[in-house]
Amino acid sequence: MAPPIHSDSKKVVLVGNPNVGKSVIFRMLTGNYALVSNFAGTTVEISRGWMQLGGITYQIVDTPGINSLVPQSEDELVTCEILLREKPDVIVQIADAKNMRRTLLITSQLAEFGIPLVLVLNMIDEAEERGVAIDSQGISDYFSIPAVETIAIYAKGKRQLLNAIQSAKKPRNPLLELFPGNHRDPGLNALSPPVLLSIEWMAGGDRDFARIIDECLGSEAGIRLKEWLADCRSSGRNNPAREIAEIRNKLLDKAVASFKKKRPVRFLEESGSFNRFWLAMLIFGLFIFFWNALGGVLGIPTPFGAAFQIIGSRTDALIGAHFQPESLLRNVLLGKNPDGRLEYGLIPELVHFLLCIAPVIIPLGVLTSGSRRFAYELGILTRRASTGIPILFVVLLLLYEFVGYTGAQTLVGLVEKVMFGQHLVPFLRTLLPSGFFSELTLGKYGLVSMGLTYAIGIILPVVGTFFIAFGLLEDSGYIPRLSILSDRLLRWLGLNGKAVLPMVLGFGCGTMATMSTRILGSKRERFIAIFLLALGIPCSAQLGVMLGIAAGVSPKATLTVIGVVASQLLLVGWLSARFIRGRRSEFIFEIPPIRVPQLKNVALKTWYRVQWYLKEAVPLFLAGTLILFVLDSVRLMGRDLLSWMQAALEPVIEGLLHLPAEAAGILLLGFLRRDYGAAGLYDLARKGLLSGQQIVVSMIVLTLFIPCLASFFMIIKEQGWKRAAAMAAFIAPFAVAVGAAVSWILRALNIQFN
Amino acid sequence: MENRSAEEITEVLETVWTLQEQKSATMEQVIDNAAKPVSKALLERLAEDGLLAIDDSKRVRLLPKGRLLAEQIMRRHRLAERLICDVLGSRVEDSEAAACEYEHLLAEGITNSICTLLGHPRFCPHNKPIPEGECCRQARDELKPIVVSCNQLRVGESARVAYFCAREHSRLLKLSALGISPGVSLKLIQKWPAYVVQCEETEIALESEVAQDIYVWQTPPE
Repeated sequence: MAPPIHSDSKKVVLVGNPNVGKSVIFRMLTGNYALVSNFAGTTVEISRGWMQLGGITYQIVDTPGINSLVPQSEDELVTCEILLREKPDVIVQIADAKNMRRTLLITSQLAEFGIPLVLVLNMIDEAEERGVAIDSQGISDYFSIPAVETIAIYAKGKRQLLNAIQSAKKPRNPLLELFPGNHRDPGLNALSPPVLLSIEWMAGGDRDFARIIDECLGSEAGIRLKEWLADCRSSGRNNPAREIAEIRNKLLDKAVASFKKKRPVRFLEESGSFNRFWLAMLIFGLFIFFWNALGGVLGIPTPFGAAFQIIGSRTDALIGAHFQPESLLRNVLLGKNPDGRLEYGLIPELVHFLLCIAPVIIPLGVLTSGSRRFAYELGILTRRASTGIPILFVVLLLLYEFVGYTGAQTLVGLVEKVMFGQHLVPFLRTLLPSGFFSELTLGKYGLVSMGLTYAIGIILPVVGTFFIAFGLLEDSGYIPRLSILSDRLLRWLGLNGKAVLPMVLGFGCGTMATMSTRILGSKRERFIAIFLLALGIPCSAQLGVMLGIAAGVSPKATLTVIGVVASQLLLVGWLSARFIRGRRSEFIFEIPPIRVPQLKNVALKTWYRVQWYLKEAVPLFLAGTLILFVLDSVRLMGRDLLSWMQAALEPVIEGLLHLPAEAAGILLLGFLRRDYGAAGLYDLARKGLLSGQQIVVSMIVLTLFIPCLASFFMIIKEQGWKRAAAMAAFIAPFAVAVGAAVSWILRALNIQFN
Repeated sequence: MENRSAEEITEVLETVWTLQEQKSATMEQVIDNAAKPVSKALLERLAEDGLLAIDDSKRVRLLPKGRLLAEQIMRRHRLAERLICDVLGSRVEDSEAAACEYEHLLAEGITNSICTLLGHPRFCPHNKPIPEGECCRQARDELKPIVVSCNQLRVGESARVAYFCAREHSRLLKLSALGISPGVSLKLIQKWPAYVVQCEETEIALESEVAQDIYVWQTPPE
């Protein structure tokens, strides 16, 4: 459906707190068609859709979730701006019926606009279960607005909502009526609506608002407002914003007391009981899951290992016989290595999914969606330290199974080995057998054979699965609980619980994580978070390759690497918390209820992130490869530039770190893409050129070293040249120094890892 | 005349106390640091009265009689600061001057009532200790304070918000947007690793510094 523009079309803006079902109502009204765009000059996304009702076309605008129209965040600022700029015909406030005070706070602010208003009391069933009874008729009379009770996920109350949108009238503005001296103040009466809100905006001293008010309400309105504030000050009323806040509080006290009645909590029959069968399945699933996850480490035979063996020996006979040995389909289904080991392929992945992911995820999903009480209890268990930390452990293991196995093994195998290695690159070779262009695209540092293979073949599957997993965690409401659990630790590093989001995201993609530090409240926190991300958080691509190397050496080596990197991260974090000056932000936020993630939301978010990755990061991969290609092909005095640079690095590599000269190339590659370096290391380790000690030292140096070029560009973008250069100037020598120290200690104590 | 000298005495004792909190005080320092003009003669007179001792190196030290008096003055002053800062929401910098005016007006009985109202605070807004009064000792021993800081609640306990220690307007706005404002009931549901309070049906995570600045009526008055 194309966006129809009629002269008689009307505009409806949806406004409400976060997590109240705004997007569900948006979809209920518009169907599934929506136009998503960034609000001018911001990263905040706005959806628009259309609806036909009584011969009139309505444009529906969905705004980001807000807590107040006196903005504290970019989202809130955008919503205020939309209300002022778009001049809607109807405002629909979507509310969580359980939280009357927060609801009516926004209602009292929206009533100020003098635009027809509809209040949607959504999730009325949940309110009832939590013992909240609401007098919606009372609210409706008080503000003279229609108040509609809905359960949006079941489309209950849709008809009433549509009627209300058609019949909505200009609301009463009780707040203005309560404002002292409102009748005797001609200056106040001359102000344009939203009168009190614009006073609060202006009194806040925000320049943006002065501009927005001038643009949307007219410069005269802005002048009158300033005059009124000046009058106020000269008559000794220094803080009108505070007066308004106090009156609003009184209004809310009264309104909540009269419109909300509390009854004891009782879950409705069908949502209050959990299904015993699925609870048993969950416990059984966890048992299988731990057996599989920990059995490998402890060397115990596991169900997964056993199933894998059977697949290995039987399926080839059953299925493999029907295919040519190297046919595409056979590789996709079985993904057998030339040496006969199963490594990737859809059938092994199915076994992996059924035994290592599904046993936990499926009962959990069924229980959470089937029983609200279960979701409620789970919400409590995940935020308490005693139960939350074991649950976090399960979540991390699941994340590893999905990203580290499904992503890094199966998908990487399918895309890199099968698609690129066996089909795309050989096919291109037949088109471009030799010459400069062949070398440029398919050579050792070719744009396709190296650049695209890495970007699409290795990193995209890993980052993509990470984005899916992260989207699921985000949409389920788990991330804020993670913030609570990690607040103390992060505080020690000069951050707070909010920083857990960029930090976890850093294990996916450092570049993206660096960008997401914008959510942190102060400049100092942004700097520390970016610094720590650059220093010691390995991205998923690097992590994947490093786990591969670690599998080849003893667990002791892996633990040493993790221990050294983590201790340095803590040490540097602790020092920067002490010595980097600036304001710290406060940790105040809402904990949303645990819900089953909406797959559509997750898919949409993943798609945006993947799109972002393709647009922003892939060109940097290609640029990095091109630089390598140039360094490799330009010759100076009989040697190419790359080997000159390696030669320059050799004293450091051989003298300080005691690594073979070839490792110089790894560090160099490591700067262009962290995982290029890790992959180079992997090659050296596989060829048996590194001892256990050397593997440990090089992994430490590589992890601590400056992140990839792409994330370095992002650091420059976020923090400016000077700070980025300062970070690099600290990190590079620091990484080498720690590596040298570890190397020295390992040699001095003669610790071996074989 | 009598009144003026009482104010002067107060000023001297206050200055000596404050200086002694940091280190020892000399006569010049007392004269320099006092907010009102103080003469050397006054110091010597107070020494004669047995309120202070001045040694050979001109060091000033409070004697038991003077300390008792100074303690009461400091208590009034710092409680007044707390009151002005927490309840009236003035900035910390402004509270100092206002408290100087206030402290002279507070009688012993009123001081204790204010102390009780504020939940027997132990530090003034400048983070200096407030001397304990009789009411604090009693409250600690037998009575429950009426207003306590949110982080003194037990897990599972409900209370009504009395006031915030309003340091920043933005924090006030953030809290009230999430539904926490004076007069609202809340329930403390978790203390560790971060504070979690439930307000209506919303769960809100707070760091301990923020929780500490939310003062609540522990036994909701009807």
